[in-house]
Amino acid sequence: MKRYYLFIALLIGIIFTGCEYDNFDEPKSTLSGSVVYEGNPVGIRNNGPQLELWQDGYQLRYAIPVYIAQDGTYSVSLFDGEYKLVRKAGAPWEPQLSDTITINVKGNTVYDVPVKPYFTISKESFQHASGKITANFTVNKIVENANLAQVRLFIGHSVLTDQNKKEQVVDVDISGIIFGQQSSLSVNLSESLKKLDEVFIRVGVRANVTNEFYYTQVQKISLK
Amino acid sequence: MKKIHIYYLSILLVVAGAFAGCNEDDWLQRTPKDRITDEQLWNDPNMILGLLANYYDRLPQLAGVFNTGTNTEFDDAMWSGHVDQNWRNDINYGDDYARYWDYTFIRDINLSLENMEKYSVKLTDVQKNQFNAELRFIRAFVYFELVKRMGGVPLITTQLIYDGSGDPSSLQIPRAKESEVYDFIYDEIQAIKDNFTITEKSRTRANKFVALALQSRAMLYAGSIAKYNNLMSAPISTPGGEVGIPANKAAEYYQKSLSASKEIIANPEYELYNPGGSSKGENFYKLFMDKNAKEVIFAKDFMTGKVHGFTYDNVVRSFRSDIEGSSMLTPSLSLVESYEYLDGSDGRLKDKDSEGNYIVYDNMSDIFANKDARLYGTVVYPGSQFRNMPVNIQAGVAIWEDGGYKFRIGNLGTTYEDGKVLTGFDGPKDDDQYVSNTGFYLRKFVSENPQDGVRPSLASNWWTWFRLGEIYLNAGEAAFELGDASALGYINKVREVHGGFPANSLTTLTIEIIQNERRVELAFEDHRYFDLKRWRIADKVWNGQDSDPNAVVHGLYPYRISRPGHADDGKYIFERVRPTRFKRARFFRMANYYSSISPTVLNNNPKLVKNPFH
Repeated sequence: MKRYYLFIALLIGIIFTGCEYDNFDEPKSTLSGSVVYEGNPVGIRNNGPQLELWQDGYQLRYAIPVYIAQDGTYSVSLFDGEYKLVRKAGAPWEPQLSDTITINVKGNTVYDVPVKPYFTISKESFQHASGKITANFTVNKIVENANLAQVRLFIGHSVLTDQNKKEQVVDVDISGIIFGQQSSLSVNLSESLKKLDEVFIRVGVRANVTNEFYYTQVQKISLK
Repeated sequence: MKKIHIYYLSILLVVAGAFAGCNEDDWLQRTPKDRITDEQLWNDPNMILGLLANYYDRLPQLAGVFNTGTNTEFDDAMWSGHVDQNWRNDINYGDDYARYWDYTFIRDINLSLENMEKYSVKLTDVQKNQFNAELRFIRAFVYFELVKRMGGVPLITTQLIYDGSGDPSSLQIPRAKESEVYDFIYDEIQAIKDNFTITEKSRTRANKFVALALQSRAMLYAGSIAKYNNLMSAPISTPGGEVGIPANKAAEYYQKSLSASKEIIANPEYELYNPGGSSKGENFYKLFMDKNAKEVIFAKDFMTGKVHGFTYDNVVRSFRSDIEGSSMLTPSLSLVESYEYLDGSDGRLKDKDSEGNYIVYDNMSDIFANKDARLYGTVVYPGSQFRNMPVNIQAGVAIWEDGGYKFRIGNLGTTYEDGKVLTGFDGPKDDDQYVSNTGFYLRKFVSENPQDGVRPSLASNWWTWFRLGEIYLNAGEAAFELGDASALGYINKVREVHGGFPANSLTTLTIEIIQNERRVELAFEDHRYFDLKRWRIADKVWNGQDSDPNAVVHGLYPYRISRPGHADDGKYIFERVRPTRFKRARFFRMANYYSSISPTVLNNNPKLVKNPFH
């Protein structure tokens, strides 16, 4: 019987000592920040554009995907080290595949990723009066040879409002848009939205070379 | 004692001498009894046939060969099977969606081609040419699948052998241009098409017309990429041409497609399936079940011992003969509505009038009356029959209350208080599994034989890779793009023979008509995804918008009216629904036009260029 216990004790001992070799510590450092243009965070589609992180010095290379929240913030858990950040295509900003950004991650590192959107929207403001929303905003052209494809006003009942998830959308006539000058638009809220206490609004602009919009930050408009 | 030692020693010497002296080849090198040598294989036509059977079995598909699951990831259907696969109704096409990179298969074929040349001494020239042509056809087919999904890929036609030098760069082949891969497919077909002397009448092995059918389809793809990619506001391309085909090559590709289609159509061996004595809808269904159909050009056959579970997967719920399964792939309302009315009017079902009031039907099937016969051959809809028995599709009862209808639903196969059906045995039932969530079931490819839905014996109807109906549509599209007046005739012929439209039902043609015609004729035959891609409309049709009737799969639920004393009592109305199980609008991004290449492959071959957006 004693032998039996000894055997079990030994077995448990081996199992636990074995673990130390197999286990890695989880990454403890974080890299976080926002995707910014001229210091302002860029609004994007929820679950939309991504960045990529790469690390040199290993034989095989695999990208670490960086997911971006709709307000432009991101956060990744990493090991300390030197990483290269790539701004891929398929986003409302210019891809910069060869111009990588080198980031030294040590502890909690904050880094704002500069991007160059094709178009931006600034000075947006929304007013509500008896079921009608009036929007004022300015479309700016950032990339010289970009072509404007769409400007849309998105209205939703939740904070997650974008091209894919929204309750009402209005296309802005792009022929009337002058870059750098204020555009305005008024729309009647749909019947289902009128009943709510509040709606969420943002404006998006899209260049023809991408299927992603540049969005303004979501604004909550009280209806009551 | 010493004498004995010497004796042994001398024996040992003799034995050793015998071995040293013997001819190695005769004595030590024996023919292995547990494996087949190259010499044996490549001199025995039956063994080569066995090898070819393996290769034919490995022909690639995305949503073909009775692949139930992938077919529920587009706009023609949703998944109503077990809830553990409900991610198909919530799919986010990743960068690697539809990725394909099977160079193991390419190598196997290259090795076979080389070894046949090297070892074969007993085969006749006719046999050698036949096998060579079949292998090269299969290789061309695989390259077509590669270029469809990945764009230009490395063109490798010989075995790659490592020289042991420590430098693998000679094995790292860069990608060919997208157009070069299509040109390779065309050149291969021209080189082999007259060598199929043994399989002239075969429908399950490659022959001249199978090769031409591949040419018809592949060249049409190349032509439309050349045309429609360059019509995009921002064409998808790489500087080296690995992705993207110059617009000026479109006409040449369309011409090559049309000439192949014409040659197949002119051959009396192939006919659009149209037996007398049964309805057009029945005929369209039987076309896929009748292994003598002269419409089929190339099929993957199944038989006892080599079966598939498609009938088990998709049979109408109350017709299932196994203890579970059924109803997994359920067609969408948008597919059903894409079938036009026989008078040529738009296929939208008339569920409500212009004022928003329900239109009342005496019989459930009346709302589907006078539709394209291919609807019946493809979809089991409310009020239709399956296995010569009426299906029991009814969502519930509509009760007249306070000036409007209130819907009452029950469990499957329940009776309402008036003694008649409440909810049918076949549903539809929202948010339930193994019963249709859209109100429709699949008929195409689903067997009429109850035994075919039972595990493990399952079904053995065959899979059609190529059939004449597609060739007619290919011809029509290629001719249309070339501005050739014959285009209309090809399309009208298919509509007349398969759809039951009157002769010359169309008088003008647009690309949208052709696109719709392919959707209804070729539904669930592994065309839809690739067709939308090559026309460059996938990002517009599957635009990810929650409000879009195409990107979101909808259903149509029939209700029986309970309004005692009123003329409408016992009649039927229909309600459009968005099934609860359908979670996310289909969203095809620009990045999905060409799948990403695996990082492992990129690591192994630094000469490969990445696809755009990846």
